[in-house]
Amino acid sequence: MKRYVYIFLLILSISPCILLNAQVKVSGIVKDAGGPLPGVAIRTRGGVNIGITSLDGRFAVTVKDSIHVLMFNSLGYQAEERIIVNGEFLEIIMQPSHQSLDEVVVVGYGTVKRITSTGSVSAIKASEIKEIPTSNVQNALTGKIPGFFSQQRSGQPGKDASDFFIRGVSSLNSDAGANQPLIIVDDVEYTYDQLSQINVNEIESISILKDASTTAVYGIKGANGVLVVTTRRGASGSPKINIRLETGIQSPVKKLDFLNSYQSASLVNEAYKNDGLPLPFTKNDLTLFQNGTDPYGHPDVNWYNQIFKPSSMQRNGNIDISGGGAAIKYFISGGAFSQDGAVRHFDDSYNSEGIVNSNYYFRRFNFRSNLDVQASKSLSLRLDITGRFSQINQPYAGNVVSELYDFGKVHPYSAPFLNPNGSYAYASDTKSQLPTINARLATQGYDLERRNDMNILFGGTQKLEVITKGLSFSARVAYASVESNTREQFREVPPSYLYNPVTGSYTLHGSVYTEGNYTLRAKQGLYNNRVNLQAYLNYDRTFGDHHFNSLVLFNRESYKEKTIFQSSDWIPQNFQGTTFKVGYDYKQKYLIDFNGGYNGSDRFKSNNRFGFFPAISAGYNISNESYFKNKFTFVDLLKIRGSFGLVGSDKVSGDRYLYQQVYYAGGGYNFGTSATNVSSIYEGNFGNPEVTWEKQQSLDLGIDVNLFKSKISVTLDYFNNLRYDQLVTPSNYPLAAGIGISPTNIAKVRNQGFDGMLIFHNNLGKFNYTVQGVISYAKNKILYMDEPAARYSWLARTGYPIGQPYGYHCLGFYTQADIDNPDIAKPATGSKIVPGDLKYQDLNNDGKIDQLDQKAIGKPNIPNTTFGLTLAGNYKGFSVSVLFQGTTGYSLSVTGTGIEPFQSQFQPIHEERWTPDNTNAKFPRLSSNPTTINSPSSYMSDFWLIDAKYIRLKTLELGYQLPEKLLPLKISNARLYVSCYNLYTWTNYSLYQQDPEVTSNTAGDAYQNQRVVNIGIQIGL
Amino acid sequence: MKNYIYKFLWVAVITLFAVSCKSTLEDVPVEQQTLEFVFDKNDSAGSNANRFLFDIYTHLPVLFNRVGGDFLDAATDDGISSLNSNTSVQQLAQGTYTSTNYPDDQWANCYAAIRQTNIFINNIDQVPLLGKLSNGTPYNKVWKAEAKFLRALFYFELVKRYGGVPLLGDKVFQLGDDLNIPRNSFADCVQYIKNECDSMKNNLRPDPVEPSNLMRPTKGAALALKARLLLYAASPLYNGGNIDGNNALTGYTDYDKERWNLAAAAADSVRAENVFGLDTAFKDVFIVEYNNERIFARINGSNSSLDKEDSPMGYTLSNGRTSPTQELADAFGMINGKDITDPASGYNSIDPYKNRDPRFYKTFFYNGSIWLSRPVETFEGGADKPGGTRQQTRTGYYLRKFLGDNETLTAFNDHSHDHILFRYGEVLLNYAEARNEYLDKPDQNVYNAVEAIRRRAKLSPYQLSATLTKDSMRIIIHHERRKELAFEEHRYWDVRRWKEAETTFNTSLHGMLIYKLGSGTLTYQKVPVYTMAFAAKMYFAPIPYSEVTKNNKMVQNPQW
Repeated sequence: MKRYVYIFLLILSISPCILLNAQVKVSGIVKDAGGPLPGVAIRTRGGVNIGITSLDGRFAVTVKDSIHVLMFNSLGYQAEERIIVNGEFLEIIMQPSHQSLDEVVVVGYGTVKRITSTGSVSAIKASEIKEIPTSNVQNALTGKIPGFFSQQRSGQPGKDASDFFIRGVSSLNSDAGANQPLIIVDDVEYTYDQLSQINVNEIESISILKDASTTAVYGIKGANGVLVVTTRRGASGSPKINIRLETGIQSPVKKLDFLNSYQSASLVNEAYKNDGLPLPFTKNDLTLFQNGTDPYGHPDVNWYNQIFKPSSMQRNGNIDISGGGAAIKYFISGGAFSQDGAVRHFDDSYNSEGIVNSNYYFRRFNFRSNLDVQASKSLSLRLDITGRFSQINQPYAGNVVSELYDFGKVHPYSAPFLNPNGSYAYASDTKSQLPTINARLATQGYDLERRNDMNILFGGTQKLEVITKGLSFSARVAYASVESNTREQFREVPPSYLYNPVTGSYTLHGSVYTEGNYTLRAKQGLYNNRVNLQAYLNYDRTFGDHHFNSLVLFNRESYKEKTIFQSSDWIPQNFQGTTFKVGYDYKQKYLIDFNGGYNGSDRFKSNNRFGFFPAISAGYNISNESYFKNKFTFVDLLKIRGSFGLVGSDKVSGDRYLYQQVYYAGGGYNFGTSATNVSSIYEGNFGNPEVTWEKQQSLDLGIDVNLFKSKISVTLDYFNNLRYDQLVTPSNYPLAAGIGISPTNIAKVRNQGFDGMLIFHNNLGKFNYTVQGVISYAKNKILYMDEPAARYSWLARTGYPIGQPYGYHCLGFYTQADIDNPDIAKPATGSKIVPGDLKYQDLNNDGKIDQLDQKAIGKPNIPNTTFGLTLAGNYKGFSVSVLFQGTTGYSLSVTGTGIEPFQSQFQPIHEERWTPDNTNAKFPRLSSNPTTINSPSSYMSDFWLIDAKYIRLKTLELGYQLPEKLLPLKISNARLYVSCYNLYTWTNYSLYQQDPEVTSNTAGDAYQNQRVVNIGIQIGL
Repeated sequence: MKNYIYKFLWVAVITLFAVSCKSTLEDVPVEQQTLEFVFDKNDSAGSNANRFLFDIYTHLPVLFNRVGGDFLDAATDDGISSLNSNTSVQQLAQGTYTSTNYPDDQWANCYAAIRQTNIFINNIDQVPLLGKLSNGTPYNKVWKAEAKFLRALFYFELVKRYGGVPLLGDKVFQLGDDLNIPRNSFADCVQYIKNECDSMKNNLRPDPVEPSNLMRPTKGAALALKARLLLYAASPLYNGGNIDGNNALTGYTDYDKERWNLAAAAADSVRAENVFGLDTAFKDVFIVEYNNERIFARINGSNSSLDKEDSPMGYTLSNGRTSPTQELADAFGMINGKDITDPASGYNSIDPYKNRDPRFYKTFFYNGSIWLSRPVETFEGGADKPGGTRQQTRTGYYLRKFLGDNETLTAFNDHSHDHILFRYGEVLLNYAEARNEYLDKPDQNVYNAVEAIRRRAKLSPYQLSATLTKDSMRIIIHHERRKELAFEEHRYWDVRRWKEAETTFNTSLHGMLIYKLGSGTLTYQKVPVYTMAFAAKMYFAPIPYSEVTKNNKMVQNPQW
């Protein structure tokens, strides 16, 4: 083994000698006004990459003596050019130029420059989001990129990744991923959760592709937009080490507030009184709740404060090394991220040392090794290996936030925190009669989900200049796998007692006298892998004023997964296709591109499998016309562009093979006195032999403007997408046939809107500042969905957006006069109506409130508008950056245990209920009956729906670059920073307690979103 | 020149590479089961066909807590849900449902099952089954007869809810078929189900079935289904009492006394099999699986979930979901066979649970009955009616029937809790009712049937007065049915088919309010707890609204 290592090292060390002879050595430092600039690409004039600057902005390259000029490029700066002399030390000051003309952005299978791009692409450099203290890339992108919509639905460590969409949603397809963008990392497809595992430190840049001209190359998968991530690579130079250490404090964005025992019991009594039932609590009970003199007989426990810590920690550490010679370049990085949960530790006699950690937490370890080998003058190879290992721990006892919300599990007066003798109490007055949550957290153990992600990419590029100049051939094989399983170390409920303070006696609950042993059990989770093969020819050449670039790519992919219950486990899902691009520009003035994909997926029948997805786009750089240039010298770029094309989506809901009728294994049945269960077989839905992909016609019109030496740059896009042939289940098939039918390609939705970005960059002396605004708007409308004729026009779904909520229109509260008036409609159910109940509009005037009176209310839960405003500045070593992010144009409502009395814990909103003295109330009268007309689960209405908006101080970063001369040891560069996430929220959603990003129509009792205040240091060696 | 050769070679290599990537995408997925696989022409054991048949059984009706968590009987005057909200049974009891949200909708389930039976019936003959019963009937015929029995039962479940429904025969609809199918008349449906029972009964397994095939339908099951069907068809709602005049979908358009005779004969044919009888212990019918009173049941296995759901809520893990009413309690007379209203009965209103019909004690939990080694306390503030916010009885009673023998234990034992769909006790009562209606005056056969039930109930004396008229006998039979079959999903349909629901189900229901005085004395007071409401349209269930909009030949039931 050792011998091989030596041989390997030998090869490594001699290879540069073999390949290089007459050379020029140059070193130097690249800076901007703020200090050294890392990551600046060093290229030859021909565009060959030969290195990048290290973290301290330094570089040292050795090039052939035929090269006289070096170019320095960095995203956000104007390119610099220098003539070089052997042995010289260069000092280069880069001029910031946000959205400079030569800025290169990554698109599918290549890059484009802002000046020659004809498609709609938004890009962000990883350095802009690196310091945001969140474990997920998608959380960090919020508010930074036009066209990117995201909602963070949970704050649970390890499960807090945002849902996101590019330009909203367009499909009615019921598949969970029907509207999810395609995610491409280093040209290989990733899933949503694989994306959230990536460490931002490994990322070089992120682009989102929004229009047909950029997504047509993905053909059948491109309709929802594409998120493209590229990772960092090494550059020539001596090894540079970069270390980052961060630690942060997390606390919930909003603290939950529940009413105390006295307040809750008073409301319970009021509700029972309203229902004409005997009162559960006597005056004496209420007095004892109020004065707290009987803490065991009449407990008053604030469970939220008792269970949750005000804050918890999060830590992040990364180290990366990059460098290399002309033959081999490497980027190797490792990182660890840890996020603790907010549940307190509860001691137990069996767990006093905390051996069993039942708290929430998330740990992730990741590594990446990206190697580039210049094997010969014309052949370069790359080998990328990356792995991510994570653990998500959560209490076996269940979702703790949801437990605290749930009136069926605990009340503030249910039980004392502990009995006087230290034993556990139980919620003796609830249906579930569970021991208190602290008892279960202390004794019941945990679920620990371990997950390994592995990716390997091997590829190479052979220049084919022997055939013709500008031609090259590349091939790649990529493998990605995810494997996860859950270890459950659990016990059933601990013994608990009802303590009677009058007699001093303890009554055991159930028959369990002692905590049993832990049971260890494993559960399979995700288990999938993907193999991807790509081979392509690239041709890029300039003939005088004419520039051509083109690409032909063959792509195959096979994805396999194992789930627990499906017979299709490990059956590959195959995808295959060819992609081409042809681009031409004349003097960078007239631009035209053809893009296309011819690809297919085995989700469809063989004769229906392949589709052709073409797109055409064109641009006109008016600013390159000499008449314009001379007149408007302050205009650096004025380009109009447009694209039109066809893209597809092969997402199918449920079963992959909708074209086939399948017989499933069912629940089983048995006979006889001692028979064993035999699984049964049943017929699945009719197959749909015509099933095919969804199609989208995408139109995009855009304008790019740079003014005053790119101090101001503006990009604005209008889009209009028509998604048709959407797979939805026809709703007009009678039940008497005894069988369902598969989704068919029938629905049609139009989605249109705009997005744009404005950047203003300037300096006041040494103070550089940037203002960046981003806005995205997308609104869709269902044009056709095969709806059976609605009995009344307001019941129709067609013409409304996807996800439109339906419900009643609230007219206020019933008064006694309304109840006595037979002309005023009453609910069709038998529930008696009393004053203080919600009154709804009787749309069909039949005197009854029933389903026929439901109409479209509010807006869908996915926002139609989102915007971000970034303010950044730096002065000498100091830097500051603030992002305000806002969202409007969506509705939300909370139901069940989140808000409804006797399902939810009593909350401050319940104090504002209707009473005879408070008829202008914010909440209907209280009732112990959960299914009255006042229940949002039974009667959703616009009373409950909130037209939500919020603005968040999403991120705030302060940094200080320590002066070089103060740095000890070999440290070449050090930066201290403070970064904050979700710092403050302004929202009109303040009536209830949930976060405004909650998923609508749920209890909203997910683990709360977290605010993070983080300090970090970054050191370069 | 050399240069060109190189170039040519390069192009050739790349072309070869590209061409060699031949597609290996399969034309059809190969891992999924198909119809050919289910009805395998090479499998003489028919194991997959058998599994297909098994799935049809999973569509059979269940009884316990099935309607939104409650017994269907909690939508009658026998019980209410302990859950004080707009439960499904409350909607059924008060008529607050519409054609879009009928809580007992079985349309989709039954038609899905009927389609499966048709697929089975059409394909099972392709399977070269070798097995046969000891009487020589080959398995193909047995299994096909089972499928036909199930199909007949599903149709009966539809007819008793909706009246006449579309009869599909052996038709299996394919994509593209015309699905604008009309409803058949009530008379057609009855005739179809009856004919099916007649034609399939001799191919079913003979009774008694051996333990390993218990809960497969037997000849007795087909006879019992036919007996119930014909009893319903002869009943006033359909036979002469059509709520919609000459609407053939909602019953016969005439009255024919002979229908009662057919019903009586059908019930008598079950007796004539000479294999069924009444179990000596009433409670054992429900918890002892191998039992000659059971004719057909759906398996539910051995567990204690029913015990937990319905036991009084004061016991650990119990929910006390069902509150039987005072009306049902009062229907149970005294052990001497007399009604509590009879001054000679010995009923004592300050000690109301003494010397009652023995079935009372196996049907109710009442204040003072023993369960899990302690007395049930349903007095105000007692362990099983403590007040406060937890779900608890609203009538002072909980449902005891069907539960295991847990009186002297400290925790629930698992018991067999099968859903008994047909039992001999019902057949006897069907017979007595039909025979009594057919005759002008009850004969000894009617007496024998009713007295057999009363004797098994351990009434003493169990004999009835020998001078009963047809009308007074009818009252006794209806009464006996209510007690004997309580919570077995009969009352809901019986009162409808007797066409008495407008009075019986349009009334206040009561509970027993019990106070325990300081001295330990208990006081009893009957109080109204609930009001039922019934309108004529509720005799029939609404056809699902969507079904009427999708099928232009589908006629909705009257007034829905």
